[in-house]
Amino acid sequence: MKITKVLVANRGEIAVRVIRACREQGIASVAVFSQADREALHVLMADEAYPIGPPSPAESYLAIDKLVRVAKASGADAVHPGYGFLAENAGFAEACGAAGLIFVGPPAGAIRALGDKTAARRIARQLGVPTVPGTFEPVSGHDAVRAAARAIGYPLMIKAALGGGGKGMRVVRAETELESALALARSEAAWAFGDGAVYLERYLVEPRHIEVQVLADLQGRVIHLGERECSIQRRHQKLVEESPSPFVDDAMRERLGEAACRIAKAAGYVNAGTVEFLVDAEGRFYFLEMNTRLQVEHGVTEMVTGIDLVREQLRIAAGESLGYAQEAVALRGAAIECRINAEDPFAGWMPSPGTITGLRAASGPWVRDDSGAYEGYTVPRFYDTLLAKLIVWGVDRPTAIQRMARALAEYKVVGILTTIPVLAHIVSHDDFRAGKLSTGFLDRILPALAASRDRAKSIAVIAAVLAEYERLGHRTIVDAPSSAPDWRRGRHPGWRP
Amino acid sequence: MKFVVTVGDASETVEVSGDAGRYRLTIGPEVWDVDGRLTAQGIYSLLVGGVSYVADVRDEAGACVVDVGDERYVIRVEEQTRFIIRTKGGAGASLGAQTLVAPLPGRIVHVAVKPGDRVEKGDTLLVIEAMKMENEYKAGSSGTVAEVRVEAGQAVNGGDVLVVIR
Repeated sequence: MKITKVLVANRGEIAVRVIRACREQGIASVAVFSQADREALHVLMADEAYPIGPPSPAESYLAIDKLVRVAKASGADAVHPGYGFLAENAGFAEACGAAGLIFVGPPAGAIRALGDKTAARRIARQLGVPTVPGTFEPVSGHDAVRAAARAIGYPLMIKAALGGGGKGMRVVRAETELESALALARSEAAWAFGDGAVYLERYLVEPRHIEVQVLADLQGRVIHLGERECSIQRRHQKLVEESPSPFVDDAMRERLGEAACRIAKAAGYVNAGTVEFLVDAEGRFYFLEMNTRLQVEHGVTEMVTGIDLVREQLRIAAGESLGYAQEAVALRGAAIECRINAEDPFAGWMPSPGTITGLRAASGPWVRDDSGAYEGYTVPRFYDTLLAKLIVWGVDRPTAIQRMARALAEYKVVGILTTIPVLAHIVSHDDFRAGKLSTGFLDRILPALAASRDRAKSIAVIAAVLAEYERLGHRTIVDAPSSAPDWRRGRHPGWRP
Repeated sequence: MKFVVTVGDASETVEVSGDAGRYRLTIGPEVWDVDGRLTAQGIYSLLVGGVSYVADVRDEAGACVVDVGDERYVIRVEEQTRFIIRTKGGAGASLGAQTLVAPLPGRIVHVAVKPGDRVEKGDTLLVIEAMKMENEYKAGSSGTVAEVRVEAGQAVNGGDVLVVIR
C-alpha cells in the first residue's frame, strides 16, 4: 500500500500540521472546510480543498458520509483524522475502510475497546497495571451506586464511560451530593457522547497528569517515546505540556513505558497512541485511559526524540514497519508547549473569537509555532479556541523555560484576547520553575495574577480620571514637564500593538 | 469632584480631590493617594505608595484609551452630573431590566435560576458551552428573575435572549 494523497478530516492548526508532514514526504493533501472556514489557513495551504457544509460540526467535520464521499471523489487513498472531531470514532474508521480508504489511525476494534473507559480499565487490571481505585463496570441502581461509592470513599469522580477530553466528569465530595451529581453526569454524558453510562473513580487530590507516547506498527512492534507532563490544566483541559516530566527519572520512565506498551499490545493497538496516567505525590502511578489518536501536545515528544510523529503515522498506515527498536529512542534535552487559545483568562476563560488585526509570532532558535492563524484571519465562533501551539526546545529544562518566557514575550496577538498573559505568568512562576506541578497549579496561582491585573486596571482608571480632571481646569502639571522619551512608554519597548 | 468611570459594561463612581500633583482618589471602597504628573503629552507618571507607573492616555472617539504595562484599557470618564443626565437617572437606570444575551452560539448546560428567584450581583444564572468550553454567566446586578427563556440541553444562537432580570 502506498499513500499518495491524504484527505485531512480536520481544521485549524492540526490540519496544517498534517498537511506539512504530507508535503515533506511528497504526498498530496486534500483539505475540507465548513462555510465558516473558507479562509482558514489549512484551506490556503492544502493542494486541494472542498466545502463540506454549514459551520455546525455535526453537518461538516463530523459528517462521516460527506467526508468519505469527498475523499473518494478527490482520489485520496488515505484519511487523517487529526485529533478531536472523528479521530476516536470507530464508525469513521470503519466507513473509511469500507470505502477502500486507509484510515491513518488504529483499527476500529482498538478504538472501540479503549473508547469505553471501563473496558480499558479492565484491560489494565488484567495486565496487573495499577488503576485508580473505582468501578470496572458502569454503575446503575440507587443502592448499588451508593454502596460502590462508599467502598471507594469520598471525594470521588463520576466519569462518562465513553467520555474524554475532560468532559462528562463530576467531583462528588459527600454522599449527600451523590444523587444529583449522578443525574447531571448521566444527562451530560448522554448528550455529549450519546450514552449515559458512568462509572466511579476515587478523586486523587492534585495529582500529576503524565502520559506516555506509544507507536505500534502492523508487524506487531510496540515502542514508547517517553512521557509528557500535562499537569498544568484549566478545567481538566491542558494548557502547558512538557517532555520529559521533571518528576520522572529513568527507572520510572521504564516502568511507565513498559506498562503503556503492554496495554497497547493487549488492545491490538496500531499507529500512534497515548496512555495516560495519574501520578500521586509518592510517585505511585495509576492507569487513567488510552487516547487512540495523535495528541494536541505531540510536538514536545517530537522535539526531544527527533521523531516526526505524523510521518510515522503515515508510514505505519501504509504498512511500513517502524524499522527501529526501543533502544533507538532517546530523549534529548527538554521541550515545552504552551497553548495559545482565543480566550479571556480573566473572564472565566470566556472564548474570544474575532478578527486578528495584528499578529507577530515568536521565532528564533529552537522555537516552533504550530499555528492555524494569520494576521487578518477571523477566528470563527463555532470551534475550539486553540489558535497556536508555541513549542520550544532547550538543552535542559531551565534553558527551555527561559526560551519559552522569551518566546511568549515576542508573541503578539492583537484584536482578540488570548491565554498569552497567563502562560507568561506560569512559566515565570517559581513553582513551575522548580517543577512543582499538579493539576491544581493554575487555580492556585490565578488569584495573584488577577490581583496584579486589577492593580493595572486601577492605575489606568486613575490616569484616565486625572486626564479628565485636568481637562476640566485642574492643573496636574506642577512645573515645566520634561519630555519622556518613547522607550519609557512600555515594559517591552520597541513594538507596540 | 465626582466622576463616573465605565470600563466594559461596568460603571463606578470615582471621587477626586487635591491639586498640584497630589491627589486622593476614592474608587469604590479603596482610597488611593497618588503623586501624578503629566510628563509629556498624554503620558502620566504615577507614584503610588512608592511604586512608579507610567500610563499612556489618549482620546479615541470620546473614550480614553490607556496603556499600562502590556495592558490596554478603554475607559469612559464622565463628570457625575453629566452621566446622570445622559443615562436619565444614572445608577438608577441599571436597576431596570437586565437581559442576559448569548454572546456566542452554544448549548445550555445548566440553568441555575427560575422565574421569581431573587438573585444578587455575581450569582450564577446559567452555564453555556461554546467553542468547547463551559462558561458560567453571572448576574450583573441584583434583582428578580422575570423570565428564563432556555432550558438545559438547548442549543442557542449568538444574540438570543436567555434570562431577563428586573
